[in-house]
Amino acid sequence: MRAFGNRSLVTTLAMSVLAFLYAPILVMMVFSFNDSQYTGLPFNGFTFRWYEALFRDDQMLTSIWNSVYVGLGVVVISVLFGVPAAIALDRYEFPGKGMFRRIVMLPIVLPGIITGIALLGFYLTIHLRLSLYTIMLGQGTALMCVTITEVFARLQQLGKSQAEAAANLGANDWEIFKNVTFPGIRSALFGAMLIAFSISFDEIAVTFLLTGRENTLPMTLWSLLRREVTPEVNAVATLIVFLSIILIVAGMYASRGNANEREA
Amino acid sequence: MTTGIELRNLRKLFEGHGHASWAVDGVDMTIGAGKFVTLLGPSGCGKTTTLRMIAGLEIPTSGQILRDGQDITDQPVTDRDMRMVFQDFALFPNMTIQDNVAFGLRVKSKRGKYTEPQIQQRVAEFLDLVHLKDHAYKKPHQLSGGQKQRVSLARALVTDPKVVLFDEPLGSLDANLRKIMQLELIRLHRELGKTFVYVTHDQDEAMAMSDAIAVMSQGKVMQFGTPREIYDRPANRYVASFIGHAHIVDATVDSKQADSLTVRLGNGDRVGVRGKADAAPGSAVGLMLRAEDLTFTDTAADAIGGKVVDSLYRGEYVEYVVALNGNSGVVHVHARTDLPQVAHGSTVALKVNPAKAHVVVH
Ligand SMILES: Nc1ncnc2c1ncn2[C@@H]1O[C@H](COP(=O)(O)OP(=O)(O)O)[C@@H](O)[C@H]1O
Ligand SMILES: [Mg+2]
Repeated sequence: MRAFGNRSLVTTLAMSVLAFLYAPILVMMVFSFNDSQYTGLPFNGFTFRWYEALFRDDQMLTSIWNSVYVGLGVVVISVLFGVPAAIALDRYEFPGKGMFRRIVMLPIVLPGIITGIALLGFYLTIHLRLSLYTIMLGQGTALMCVTITEVFARLQQLGKSQAEAAANLGANDWEIFKNVTFPGIRSALFGAMLIAFSISFDEIAVTFLLTGRENTLPMTLWSLLRREVTPEVNAVATLIVFLSIILIVAGMYASRGNANEREA
Repeated sequence: MTTGIELRNLRKLFEGHGHASWAVDGVDMTIGAGKFVTLLGPSGCGKTTTLRMIAGLEIPTSGQILRDGQDITDQPVTDRDMRMVFQDFALFPNMTIQDNVAFGLRVKSKRGKYTEPQIQQRVAEFLDLVHLKDHAYKKPHQLSGGQKQRVSLARALVTDPKVVLFDEPLGSLDANLRKIMQLELIRLHRELGKTFVYVTHDQDEAMAMSDAIAVMSQGKVMQFGTPREIYDRPANRYVASFIGHAHIVDATVDSKQADSLTVRLGNGDRVGVRGKADAAPGSAVGLMLRAEDLTFTDTAADAIGGKVVDSLYRGEYVEYVVALNGNSGVVHVHARTDLPQVAHGSTVALKVNPAKAHVVVH
């Protein structure tokens, strides 16, 4: 820390960055317990009313479930296609491999609205009925690149000698995958799944274009917010913050448990 | 039928990014069953690639690999039953030491061969063999380099392969531990009677451990022979200078007798060499002179003359650097430390041990 000179200055800076980031979230959480119709001061007293309202609100509950359902579907798609793609990238040389590795990140870099329009046009052309599944497919193909990149990076880091050692000891391809490759990429894969899920969970541009009749949570919140920030919205948001914290901690735990074991 | 492994004109081309190079360029070799054979050479000469082709981890571009007379060039790695000890150990980080060692016994291709209690017992036995009994339940990252190396060894040996392949297994260990492991490997080879194919760039290690050494350079075998043959009778300048840092002095064949010859140095000094050489009188050769085969002498007859230009006290001996008269070359001389010190700039006469002097033609 000496290189930065004044220690208390650094501390103050760090604290203010944190405050800037998290104070609004904290305020929002506080208001979700405020016994008042409106988001704002004064604080009228503590209540669980908005949470109760939330759990009675069918539209809200359905959209939460839709979001979770889409998120899980996206995770499944991105794992099912992303892992084999990453393994193929790691293992085989083929023409255009370098190009593919760069181009695979495109969906993340492109604005969601562009991806959404492209997918919509494509689905309409092949007469696919829009539904939660088209959202899953759209987000899943776009978010596959997260899995591919994360898993590919880990595979490169792992190297091939463990897999070769297993083959040398008589293991077949499945045994190598089960005992060597999968344990090696597990934490990276888990991280990629978390990222895919959370991006999917609050994605709005692609979803807006690809959805049928059903709504996901961000879309429901969006339509509610057109009028005002209701305490119920604060309550949903608070729940999501807690869920995110749990996921982050789980992700950290998973990758730490694996870090020591990665090199041997 | 020859038992053991036979390499026939084995070649491997690596292509990539617009250029291609032969990592292994026509290797012929017979590795007798039960022998300890070492591939020795500087980094990048193709040792690992040769070993990986024997293991089936690399597909030869051309040539054949035979095992007990049968062509195994196209046999998959999984079926070869040759175990490799990798340079970087390649232990499975998520498994305990015990499970690492048991891995080769639990794979599907070995199913039914051992019951679980037999596996447990065998693993315990081999962990004991490499002195790691107390570490059975640890994970690889909790072990030191030397311990990991021994796990890797136990994991290979426990499956009872006929052939064990080693890729610079002691490369990452410190000098002391390396010596201990060398003795350990020699003991294991003697007791288990398996074929060991060993790769190293350390010539002392190769000399001490092997039944036979293949000295490699740029994908080719420069000489294949016992350590003694390679040290005393190197086939060419490359092997002579690579092994034991011999000094090679340019010379001309003066005369040839039945089983000895006389060579003449640039300065006219003559040296008698025992043995035969494939060179006619008058042809240019290299005279290999090793430091331990040269002694200072008082008589100028039958000796070569020079001047001491440097001396290094090595503890076991004093190493003198002697420039031969007439700019004919530089040799090193090892002298006993209890002899009087020879001063810098002194003119000296050197006697060559005719039994150890050697002539290289190429
Ligand atoms: N997978 C590979 N791709 C391209 N070149 C390689 C590969 N493996 C080895 N080589 C090259 O082949 C040559 C021999 O390598 P190697 O067998 O590893 O040598 P050694 O084990 O004697 O140090 C080196 O020039 C090396 O760069
Ligand atoms: Mg090597």
